[in-house]
Amino acid sequence: MHAIDFLLLAITASTPLLLAVEGEVVVQRSGIINLGIEGMMLAAAMGSVIAAQLTNRIAFGFAGGIAGAALLGALFGFFAIVLRADQIVTGTAINLLALGITGFIYRELQQSEIFARAVQFRGRNLVVPLAWIAVPIVLAIVLWRTIFGLRLRACGENPEAVTAARASVAGHRWAALGIESILVGIAGAYLALALSSGFAENMTAGRGYIALSIVIFGRWKMKGVLLGTALFGVAAAGQYALQAAGHALPFHLLLAIPYVVTLLILCGIAGRVRAPESLGRA
Amino acid sequence: MRRIVAGVVAAAAAIAVLAFCGLALGHAPAELLRVAIRGSVGSPFALQGTIVKSIPLLLTGLSVAVAFRAGVWNIGAEGQFIVGALAAFVAAPWGLTAALIVSIAAGAVWASIATALRFWRGAPEVLTTILLNFVGLHLLGWAVNGPLQERIAQYPQTDPIPSSAALPRFGLTSLHAGIVIAVVVCIALWIFLERTTEGLRMRATGFNASAAQWAGVNVTLQIAGAMAISGGVAGLAGGIELLGVTHRLFELFAAGYGYSGIAVALLAQLHPIGTLVSALFFGALQTAAGELQRSANISITVATFGQAVVILTIIGFGSFRARD
Amino acid sequence: MILNLAHIRRTFGATVALDDVSLSAGPGEIIGIIGENGAGKTTLMRIIAGEIVPDAGSVAVDGTVGFVHQHFMLVSEFTIAENLALAAGSMHPPVSFERPRRLVRELSVGERSKLELAKAIAGRPRVLILDEPTSVLTPVEAEDLFQTMRLLADSGTCVLLISHKIREVLGVATRTVVMRRGRIVAENLSAEAMARAMVDVPVEPGRSRSNRTASGREADESRLYRPGQIAAIIGVAGNGQVELATRLRDTLARASAAHIPEDRTRDGFVAEMSIAENIALLAGVRGARARAARLIETYGIRASGPEQRAGSLSGGNQQKLLLARELDRNPKIIIAAEPTRGLDFESTRFVHQQLRAAAERGAAIVLITSDLDEAFALADEIRVIYRGRLSEPLTPAEASERAGRLMAGLE
Repeated sequence: MHAIDFLLLAITASTPLLLAVEGEVVVQRSGIINLGIEGMMLAAAMGSVIAAQLTNRIAFGFAGGIAGAALLGALFGFFAIVLRADQIVTGTAINLLALGITGFIYRELQQSEIFARAVQFRGRNLVVPLAWIAVPIVLAIVLWRTIFGLRLRACGENPEAVTAARASVAGHRWAALGIESILVGIAGAYLALALSSGFAENMTAGRGYIALSIVIFGRWKMKGVLLGTALFGVAAAGQYALQAAGHALPFHLLLAIPYVVTLLILCGIAGRVRAPESLGRA
Repeated sequence: MRRIVAGVVAAAAAIAVLAFCGLALGHAPAELLRVAIRGSVGSPFALQGTIVKSIPLLLTGLSVAVAFRAGVWNIGAEGQFIVGALAAFVAAPWGLTAALIVSIAAGAVWASIATALRFWRGAPEVLTTILLNFVGLHLLGWAVNGPLQERIAQYPQTDPIPSSAALPRFGLTSLHAGIVIAVVVCIALWIFLERTTEGLRMRATGFNASAAQWAGVNVTLQIAGAMAISGGVAGLAGGIELLGVTHRLFELFAAGYGYSGIAVALLAQLHPIGTLVSALFFGALQTAAGELQRSANISITVATFGQAVVILTIIGFGSFRARD
Repeated sequence: MILNLAHIRRTFGATVALDDVSLSAGPGEIIGIIGENGAGKTTLMRIIAGEIVPDAGSVAVDGTVGFVHQHFMLVSEFTIAENLALAAGSMHPPVSFERPRRLVRELSVGERSKLELAKAIAGRPRVLILDEPTSVLTPVEAEDLFQTMRLLADSGTCVLLISHKIREVLGVATRTVVMRRGRIVAENLSAEAMARAMVDVPVEPGRSRSNRTASGREADESRLYRPGQIAAIIGVAGNGQVELATRLRDTLARASAAHIPEDRTRDGFVAEMSIAENIALLAGVRGARARAARLIETYGIRASGPEQRAGSLSGGNQQKLLLARELDRNPKIIIAAEPTRGLDFESTRFVHQQLRAAAERGAAIVLITSDLDEAFALADEIRVIYRGRLSEPLTPAEASERAGRLMAGLE
């Protein structure tokens, strides 16, 4: 495989991951851990396929993806922000919920038009440059150069200071979840419509958890997570290349590579990582 | 006793939500309920099935409960279950006892990888245990497609274990001796947590690690210990499922028991004895879902959906409580 | 009048925080508000600042209110500029500070206090409230602050100063008000009269230490603690006291050492567990309930029984629980950090009694405190901690002369 092809593969294949990572950075900067992005992405994948097949328009497919992600995102927000429930347990429940619902819908409608026909994705691919160039720049400006971003980051460090400055902590966290829902929605839609040819059960395969790991590796900054995702993308592309080349390495062990690589990425944090001060605290 | 009320409400809510969804899809809830009860407790056969399904749920539920009470986020019961079963299969030729002990050890070691990464590299165990689940899953896939595959090499599964390693059954039923082991473990963990000083220290670590440390508790040891116990119990669950029920390994062996354990533990409010009841409930949910699939063609995934509803109801209820 | 409060009443659940409080103030006044913890001072200020509303009564403020909180509302990971921007609600706030690109976490406590003040006066408020501002300052920094307050008052601001340090307040205030149990009980009294009004108990003229002889004062002994002695470590908060206490906790054998951590509510006990369970953490579960019942009796802990949740005890009783758990084991060494912080007069006296009694029994006590009165009342020798380093041991007489300079790092 040519080097260029390899790099393109690495970037394209890890684009859904990157979008999820970018969304989670915003949310964690506001002080919340959303373990449920795995489920949100799965719901987005299903939502996008349903919308695209029913309307035959890819644009609506992406809208459907965002809708799917936003539904679960709102549920997560209700429990984490309004009820102040434990965020880790809530996120895990959201993932189970998504698994159950999407699995159920898929099996019920398996024979129908929606899932039996492969999705045809044609047209210009705007998602990759969006994810790798536009989104990081825009998020960096918003988070570090606007008063909205300043307040949002303060919510993750010292929410009391935000309340003392007469701004709403909950409001900023909901906004962060909204941004994440859009990004994860696009991620799930891209995964199902562009990278695959439709929905498959449990198709996200742990991308959400890998995204969470890259957020930590990237120290909650745009540059860091771009690097982390790129590294991961290269490793994942390496896995595909090895598979394609029909190497002697057993297929299933190759499948485990992304997760082992992520574990190594988490180890590469080298001890002292400073998370946003109020992360995870109700 | 409010906890018991919360548990009952959560279970009822799950059933209500499921019934409502059934209604939305054009089924009569009363009919669904009848099929569900028939499938779970309506006959001796169904009852046996429910109990047999409850055993791994009890153990993975205990695994999660112990970890959560120590303040440790072990979401890795799924992977520990698989690794425990793998180890038990490999050790089966040496007999039942050896296989069981090895399954506990393997699960404990698998969980301890996450512990080591946490203390050595600051990697949060909530993520590392989940990632190890995927690694374990693919390890199983490799094993049953490769080195451990059955001799005739037709399906991705192993040969059956030698009959000397199988858990004995009670008469002609499908109930196996794993029930006894699971109940004993349940009681032992209850005694440990509620009646011993070390168990008290583990619980204190879960409530407030900082205060526990000031009170002389070795928090590092407690965390490591909790993870090891948790992993060991989950590994035992896998071993028992292999040696008592399936007798061979195959790709979908784990079937979500590890993640279901979270729902089991939360419904029981992390209490060991409550986990017994909770496991039976979820076991019944599982067999009921199976019957619903057979009779009403409703996908078995409702069980996963039901678990999620239970979890959300429990924590929703819990946080309402916390506010007054 | 810029400030007019009439018949303010405010409850929190069953507790009456403010009960019929009226107060008015005009420009240029510096009003000292004196009272013990729980008197209602902070609640009253929060009502003035508009953070909470009263249940009854009227509040009239002619202008904006600036509030310097007791616990800094700063984001330590942000720069000074970012903190000012956050407070002002704009990326270009109308106030300056020297070298604003520095991270707040690099600032000393005194500089942070200045930053909090800058934040508060950025909007040119007509009323400025300061809540216990000198608890973390050296005497010199405190005097600087008072100068600033005088300048602000001269330019027309009305300054409200909350404090429990009577002497300090008298040095700067134009008017003083004493609060107790949600009411204003007196105005413009003398120092002694104020002290009496504050606590309703006669102030002892000068608490005397019992006659303990130092056991063999070796001239070149540099050890921190000696059996039968109380060694006090004083200093402005944030100079390494917590680190020192934690180091001692980790190095001394837990079986013979007792530790009273500085942050009582977070580190002193497990709130979700019962009194008996908290005691069993150290002493073991066997006989825990009986032991707990005995300790409740001996230490006079106001509780319904050994099964009561530790978190539901009052502050004073929580400290008693902590002492009971630690001292019951007859420890040879006691490390007590801020043991009377936030406690009322009775509880403080009880704690001091216990420490003295332990010393008499031969224990070596290290008392880490920012309360100079407490240190001078109890200690046989005093050291000053500054930026993590300890001074040589001083006698109380030497310390009263040099403490101020040592605490500010001027020696």
